[in-house]
Amino acid sequence: MQLQVNGKTRQVQREDELLLWVLRDELGLTGTHYGCGIGICGSCTVLVDGQVTRSCLTPVASVAGKAVTTLEGLARTGRDGAVTLHPVQQAFVENPLQCGWCLPGHVMSAVALLNANPAPTPEQIDDSAGINLCRCGGYNNVRKAVARAAELKRGGL
Amino acid sequence: MSTLKPNKVLRKKVTRRRVLIGLGTTAGVLVVGVPLALNAGRPALVEYVVENGTGPQEAPFNPDLWFEVTASGITFYAPKMEMGQGIHTALAQIAAEELEVKPEQLTVKQADTARGYAGGTMFTFGSNSVNALYTPLREAAATLRELLREEAARQLGVPAKNLTAAGGQFFIAGRRDTLSYGKVVEGKQGEWTLPDKPARLKARKDFKRIGRAMPRVDFRDKVMGLSSYGYDARVDGMLYGAVARPPRYGATLAAATAGGASAQPGVSKVVIDLKANFAGVVADSRTRARNAVKKLDLRWEGGTNVNQAEIDAQVRAGAGVVVRRRGNVGAALKQGTRIEAEYSTPLVAHAHLEPLAALAQVAPGKNGKIEVWTATQYPQKVMDDIHAALGKDREILLHPTQLGGGFGRKAGQTAAVEATRLSAATGRPVHVGWTREEDLQQAFFRPPSHHILRGSVSSEGRILGVEQFTASGDIIWPASMPEFVKDTIGFDPGGVLGLFMPYDIPAYHVTNRREALPVPTGFWRGLGVFPNTFAVESFADELAHAAKMDPLDFRLNNLPDTEDGQRLRAVLEQAAKRAGWRTPPPAGRARGIACGLDVNTASAQVAEVSVENGQIRVHRMSVAVDPGMVINPQGAKMQAEGSVVMGLSSTLHEVLTVKDGMIESANFDTYPLLTLRETPQIDVDLLESGDTPYGMGEPIIGPVGAAVANAVFALTGKRLRDLPMRL
Repeated sequence: MQLQVNGKTRQVQREDELLLWVLRDELGLTGTHYGCGIGICGSCTVLVDGQVTRSCLTPVASVAGKAVTTLEGLARTGRDGAVTLHPVQQAFVENPLQCGWCLPGHVMSAVALLNANPAPTPEQIDDSAGINLCRCGGYNNVRKAVARAAELKRGGL
Repeated sequence: MSTLKPNKVLRKKVTRRRVLIGLGTTAGVLVVGVPLALNAGRPALVEYVVENGTGPQEAPFNPDLWFEVTASGITFYAPKMEMGQGIHTALAQIAAEELEVKPEQLTVKQADTARGYAGGTMFTFGSNSVNALYTPLREAAATLRELLREEAARQLGVPAKNLTAAGGQFFIAGRRDTLSYGKVVEGKQGEWTLPDKPARLKARKDFKRIGRAMPRVDFRDKVMGLSSYGYDARVDGMLYGAVARPPRYGATLAAATAGGASAQPGVSKVVIDLKANFAGVVADSRTRARNAVKKLDLRWEGGTNVNQAEIDAQVRAGAGVVVRRRGNVGAALKQGTRIEAEYSTPLVAHAHLEPLAALAQVAPGKNGKIEVWTATQYPQKVMDDIHAALGKDREILLHPTQLGGGFGRKAGQTAAVEATRLSAATGRPVHVGWTREEDLQQAFFRPPSHHILRGSVSSEGRILGVEQFTASGDIIWPASMPEFVKDTIGFDPGGVLGLFMPYDIPAYHVTNRREALPVPTGFWRGLGVFPNTFAVESFADELAHAAKMDPLDFRLNNLPDTEDGQRLRAVLEQAAKRAGWRTPPPAGRARGIACGLDVNTASAQVAEVSVENGQIRVHRMSVAVDPGMVINPQGAKMQAEGSVVMGLSSTLHEVLTVKDGMIESANFDTYPLLTLRETPQIDVDLLESGDTPYGMGEPIIGPVGAAVANAVFALTGKRLRDLPMRL
């Protein structure tokens, strides 16, 4: 089957596999992480047609024909090869977490939130980000990063 | 009875003879390394390590610190593991200071067995990385800087004193041109020789980088999904392994056959080794390997059938080894107001979000070379375990990856040994990545603890005497220490961290009891610091109330007039100031305070709590910490915040229970961690008290539980003495 990942069409052999393992093991996109396999921690989060999706619970066959975006698909590479981070990525560089294993959850949730709501309230940020764990305890930097990302995005970065 | 004095560094000075230099393998490359014999951190742990022959050791051919200078820049091979604590950034910052380079001119890579490998030093534990490496790294970097300066002077035909190093180049007095470090290396002909005099270290007042926030060197890659962790390791042609797990701790494989596993789709090999207690499957996908393991025909024997009630009964404070005896406690307890209290903390997990994982590629033949990629805090232990499993004559190339959290659990890496076994049996590279269920159950845990404290206070609010009994499951001892050593010493050194009340107590008697439990227990962030500080700082609060004194004033009143006492006083006063301790809390809330000293770092915290719908809600944590000296304020604050969040998680949620010889929880549905919504405002004030940086990774987790318990008492009058807290 074919899969649309980060704007490219990819051929997939394992049609009976979960999206997470197809991304990681078959396509080599290891930026999407395994953490719990039951959709709680959020380390496996991707966007499917813009919606926050736990890839560890998603059969790959169910996303055929839909656009899958992973952490690797957010930055833009210019003609000169220069990489421009997505505003959410930039905001997390400025307000880092610690080990970073949980980043797919926090980054992809923020991307989806800001696409739907460019000026979220702190309460809305907590609602969106709160579905993801961070064992290193960087939750307050998550809050700061999402607010900062909104600012960067409004500034046209 | 000797008391433990953490963080006394026994370090050989970097002398001229001890700096290794060479031209590298190609022209235009300068390699500088410094072999170090470090003996730092929690000394008892180090003693254990030395005992086992894998500890700090000289590495004459593999310098601990290795810089590579070429025309395109300087690469620093960091001899510590990055698990989120920001150590690569802190070390880069220290190196950049003395090298006089901009941080972006320094590329940081993980030292591995090919570059800069250093067995003992690379063990990343005990909050000691910055403390242990601060001076040696500065000396090495300064030596490199002076080496370059002398060579630059020779090439330019000017005296070395006319050259000023800044931004990775030399400015020449009276001239407008400059010479970059890279050009110096490029233009070098012949042998490098070290300057005659040891390089002078910069004065602290001249620091441009140390003490200021520096962005994490690894985080851009991380937000782009490009950073490679143990679970992410890949090579062409790799297969996936899964391993059978015992249903009870201590069970052994009595019999095993492939059963239906071989016939499962994608399975290339079933590997059974009864002597090694090992049965595993290699398949062309992770899911297929995991499914096939369930079809193995296995007979497990023995092991424990222990249940939680028996563990609770085993970990009871009382008889044990006296670890402190001062004054006449019996007499002291007959005076003043006397109180007694019991506390307990449960078995908990590390729950780092990246489960154990490793990739191994074993070359054919009895002594085929082994290449391993894994996320470990302790690479030498991984190598030793692999040698023990597959033969000690094999060469191992170890590539430590980024760690998705560690917290003590990744001291060693069982998955690396499993991947190596499976690769050796199949001749193919094999990746083993544990499931969350494996990671949570087939682990070792922070042991449960039980504490009984009796104390008396005078009407003037002075502590007269304290009698303290603590029991804990083993922490350091489970790591294969001979029984006679455990018996001789009598207590587990990890269990006494955070054990002693930091106050001036005329009569103080502490008895510690260690228990080898039938469930695996071991290192967890701070070892005894969290359980012990919960007990002693809750009790300090109870003594304050018994004396009818404000808990802050009571602590200040009882701190000794020593350097430690003064540092604790400073952090207590700062945390109280930040929290507005002397002003009434918002309606419906109350505050609690606690402090502690661990690895020479003093910290104090004020928790502000309310109770909403029968649940404890923490609104604010005000943290003051004095780690001696701060390298990177941004990184230090992250460590403090992370410690508070992990401490709150332990305080409010985390508990594991054992049934029929196995942990009952298997995933986050039954083992909830603190969430973002529950995370309070956390204010961190960093205080400095000298020129030596101590630890930031563990001390701050100590006072969290007691600060919350003390606040809940202030609010409700109810004293919560058992974790996790239940109202």
